[in-house]
Amino acid sequence: MEILEWVRLLVGGALLLSGLLIFLIELYGIFHLKYVLNRMHAAAMGDTLGISFSLIGLMIFSGLNFVTLKMMLIVIFLWFASPVSSHMLARLEVSTNEDLKKHCQVYEELSRLEKDLKEEKIKEEGGEEE
Amino acid sequence: MQINEKVSALDGVYQSMYIGILIILAIMLFACLIRAVRGPRIADRIVAVNMMGTMVMVMIAVLSLLLKEGFLIDICLIYALVSFLAVTVISKVYIGVYTEKQHHIQAGTKRKGEESNGNS
Amino acid sequence: MSRLKPQKEYEKTGAFHFFRWLSGSKDPYVGEIEMQPQKEAEIQETTILERMKESEMVRDKVYDVENNKVLKLFHKVYVVAAILFCVVLVGLLLYTVSYLPRIGNSANPDNNIVSERYIEQGLQETGALNIVSGMILTYRAFDTFGETNVLFIATCCVMILLMVDDVILKKQRIRNDRRFEPKNDGILQGTVFVLCPIIFIFGIYIILNGHLSPGGGFSGGAIIGAGLMLYTSAYGFEKTQRFFDEHIYKIAKITALCMYGIIGSYFYITGANGIENHIPLGTPGHILSSGIILPINICVGLEVACTMYAFYALFRRGGL
Repeated sequence: MEILEWVRLLVGGALLLSGLLIFLIELYGIFHLKYVLNRMHAAAMGDTLGISFSLIGLMIFSGLNFVTLKMMLIVIFLWFASPVSSHMLARLEVSTNEDLKKHCQVYEELSRLEKDLKEEKIKEEGGEEE
Repeated sequence: MQINEKVSALDGVYQSMYIGILIILAIMLFACLIRAVRGPRIADRIVAVNMMGTMVMVMIAVLSLLLKEGFLIDICLIYALVSFLAVTVISKVYIGVYTEKQHHIQAGTKRKGEESNGNS
Repeated sequence: MSRLKPQKEYEKTGAFHFFRWLSGSKDPYVGEIEMQPQKEAEIQETTILERMKESEMVRDKVYDVENNKVLKLFHKVYVVAAILFCVVLVGLLLYTVSYLPRIGNSANPDNNIVSERYIEQGLQETGALNIVSGMILTYRAFDTFGETNVLFIATCCVMILLMVDDVILKKQRIRNDRRFEPKNDGILQGTVFVLCPIIFIFGIYIILNGHLSPGGGFSGGAIIGAGLMLYTSAYGFEKTQRFFDEHIYKIAKITALCMYGIIGSYFYITGANGIENHIPLGTPGHILSSGIILPINICVGLEVACTMYAFYALFRRGGL
């Protein structure tokens, strides 16, 4: 039984440390990369992989009980929520940055299509207002 | 007696590991804070704050095992919910405000252009 | 109303004039004085922009922004001073923390008769496993009633200040309802469709378990309010109004406050006069136990959820 306990400590500790390592890589990426959309790529890694590794390590430490279930819930919630928040942030960046072409390739046709759609929407709403 | 000593040794290892992890995470949090202060664009700051939220979640989970208080995990869950909500609402509101400002400026320049054409 | 005379003849009598004068339904100026409706003052966007430019020019000339060395120095010193102030404040607070008594010391000032009473006899007297919620909802229920009233009055004040009148609302509804924001984001909507029910269930769990585990009305209500805000930011105000509009808001909020008042006043009156109250405490640990804590928790949760959502909606568009 004691050996099993030590094995548990080793496995859990290894998972926890790998989670911390991923956080470290995330930090490196966030200082190394030059633009927000690239930095977001690094930040999303810690939000999904880093926290899932470290929480799985903590789950192994705590054993089978209610706390483990709640930790699992946190990981599942973050897997749902973090990609969506990155999506919203990317949308914020793209729609508020005026000289986006400096940093990345922009497809002309798509942006034109979006502009046309926006104008149509504004026209429709203007008609409703009057 | 021997068994007890061994168990306490295991507990000591656990405790020192938890405290070490907490210290490492705190140093990382400071680095994130530097990015949040320096970040040139608004999206930079929000990304950094979101990262800090993730690290704080891990810290709370470690604390709940260190102090053996299961209810701290509930706080962790609420923290995840609130950080998600904050990022969504802030980005939506900021896009709305920015496009409204842009729309006003465009309308102003258009009207000015029409007036100058009429005068000339 | 049945009258002997037909309407036209009745209008010629003095009684008709008298009652019309009494009720004030006749406007003495209509038909007597020539009037034109007043035009609303229009301020165009171009004039606003011109004014802004002019004020900027004046500021430039007065302060000479580009060449003013004092101003540049001030900006640099300001940044340094702000950072210094923050660091000093943090240091000061940490220094104060180091003077606090250690946790668990028997000579601490918080170890007195009151806390001993709460800890030793709290479970018997309130029936709540969670000492904190037993304390704030039975021993100090009057304080909590005041806090709930504060929430109610705060939303009332925000409503008085920010609520848009109905006529103007109809004009500006589209403009206020996130005209320029990204609408119908499919990814966000899909995620919220999955997550929102879970968030609501989690909030209800925290409210109902207030006397058994940490949590209670305030935190559970905040979670439900956050879920409502998330739903609104994904789907828009129109879809939220299908299940939560002004009418339901009024009913929920006032019912919660009145229920708290009724339950609380019964509790205070019996307690103050030494009368035995007939609320069963139940067995500690069960969901239906611990007397008045569970219904009061539900009332507080409703109140807090309504307050959170009302603040959000009022600040966003000036109406629920």
